[in-house]
Amino acid sequence: MPQYALVIDLNTCVGCHACATNCKEWNTQASFGPLSDFDPYGKNPKGVWYNRIMTYEMGEFPNTQVFHLPKSCLHCQDAPCVPVCPTGASYKREQDGIVLVNYDDCIGCKLCSWSCPYGCREFDEADKVMKKCTLCIDRIYDESLPPEHRKPACVLTCPAKARFFGDIEDPNSEAYKMIKERNGFVLFPDMGTNPANHYLPRTETKVHVDEHLLEAENPLFLEVVRRHYKGG
Amino acid sequence: MHPPLSLIWFFLTAGISIGLFNFTYFMEFLTLFGKDTALPKHMVLISNVISLVLIGLGAIGASFHLGHKLRAWKAIKRFHTSWLSREAVFSGAYGFTLLIFALLRFFDHTGFWYHFFGIITFILGWLSAFSTAMIYASNRFVLEWNTSISVLYYLNMYLMFGSSAFLALTYFYRKEFVGTYIFLTFLFLALGLAFRLAFNIRQFYIKRPTINEALNLPHNRPIRVLDTGTTTDNYCTEEFYYKKGKELLPSILPLAYILTFIVPLFFVLYIWITGRVDYNFIKFTFLFIVVGSALERWCFFVEGNHVQNLFYGLYPEEGYTLRKGYMERKKTRISYR
Repeated sequence: MPQYALVIDLNTCVGCHACATNCKEWNTQASFGPLSDFDPYGKNPKGVWYNRIMTYEMGEFPNTQVFHLPKSCLHCQDAPCVPVCPTGASYKREQDGIVLVNYDDCIGCKLCSWSCPYGCREFDEADKVMKKCTLCIDRIYDESLPPEHRKPACVLTCPAKARFFGDIEDPNSEAYKMIKERNGFVLFPDMGTNPANHYLPRTETKVHVDEHLLEAENPLFLEVVRRHYKGG
Repeated sequence: MHPPLSLIWFFLTAGISIGLFNFTYFMEFLTLFGKDTALPKHMVLISNVISLVLIGLGAIGASFHLGHKLRAWKAIKRFHTSWLSREAVFSGAYGFTLLIFALLRFFDHTGFWYHFFGIITFILGWLSAFSTAMIYASNRFVLEWNTSISVLYYLNMYLMFGSSAFLALTYFYRKEFVGTYIFLTFLFLALGLAFRLAFNIRQFYIKRPTINEALNLPHNRPIRVLDTGTTTDNYCTEEFYYKKGKELLPSILPLAYILTFIVPLFFVLYIWITGRVDYNFIKFTFLFIVVGSALERWCFFVEGNHVQNLFYGLYPEEGYTLRKGYMERKKTRISYR
């Protein structure tokens, strides 16, 4: 069965928030919008976002690494948010595995968000329904768009080309190959949700310093060398 | 978790309604076996009207939790998978059969159909209570709730409400049952205290996930949240983490224990030991249980920590640390903040 999903390369993601911004821009005006904003120009601007970018620091000082984690609905293959929905408004499509919310059936009980371990569903206080990433279903099947544009808005806009879209069950797709070749992983595997969205692991940055830079009068480079060649 | 007042209201109203009907019909049911426990018509009707009004008010109050109240009827669609759907169906059916039961009593039809609807209402009431409890207990992402203690405690609370409310009613109509219901109220209060203590003590022994597990990264790397991508709170940080509640919890939780269990137990034991049945004590036993339970439910929500808080660095701390070359699992530190 096909399962469309995003594959995000943590090695190239620079945390620029362009994916989140373009997601908001597209979905606010498209079929699943609006994504309501509250007090947008005030002291406490709030709003509904399908995609949020977290930034984490890993390791202990001074050997730390910063990485950015874009997080939207992971379109889990065993989505726990679907069976708890009392009205059937939350559903998973058989033809492509995308998890959607039917706004006409949603009663706004919020139980689906309680059943998502990733915090990827957001309640729209203006529309009084639960909203979440649709994988831009209104773009990917739009035949009026050129084939290269039939991708989610976040994938098209990523300036670092860190986001890939495709069927993770199809061995010919780019997404499938990325996961296999670069050891794609999922968030919170212990939760038993079997997320479809994958992340490509971050590799540690190695600094290669040429011999001619190893000069005593250059304390900065000496410090770099000391750190990276420590013990080796 | 942020405590929704509408759900606390539903817990109180549905709890008193179902609990009171439970004991009212139980006494009527015993007459089928030749026991002299029939209640006066007036008492049954008053009890049924209270139950009906409360379940109605509970349903209205609970609808304030919904974004779209007028679509609430659609909640019957996923009966086969959703506990919320089951709760909606069972509580609605309970209210309907309760109305028929009350009408049968009003028109003095106390034969087969009276007991048929009594038994059906009794079962539907408990199915509704069980479904409500399972909404919380089946949520495996809030580890504090994800236990059978949540269900046992929830059902016992309904019995606490029911026995104490029935005690207050039977004082006026069949005083000879006061002793029995003093004992039952004491029993359910003591059980409730035991379940609540077990619920709290269990929280110290839960094996909690770490941010490393959430991000699927090696356990020997300390991870720190630098930025959550927003300058203010969002739906996730408000719904799943109630900062003000976490600050108040150390004060409210002991108060909830005192009002729900300690004071009512004192009143009930006083009546039991001295044999002086003072209606004021009976009245205040019930009132304290209701007020205390409202606070207890508030605490129940605030105590719940959703695992999505890990992504925001708002989950009780537990993790791994590198110490002298080997990994050592940190001890769980329960923090109410």
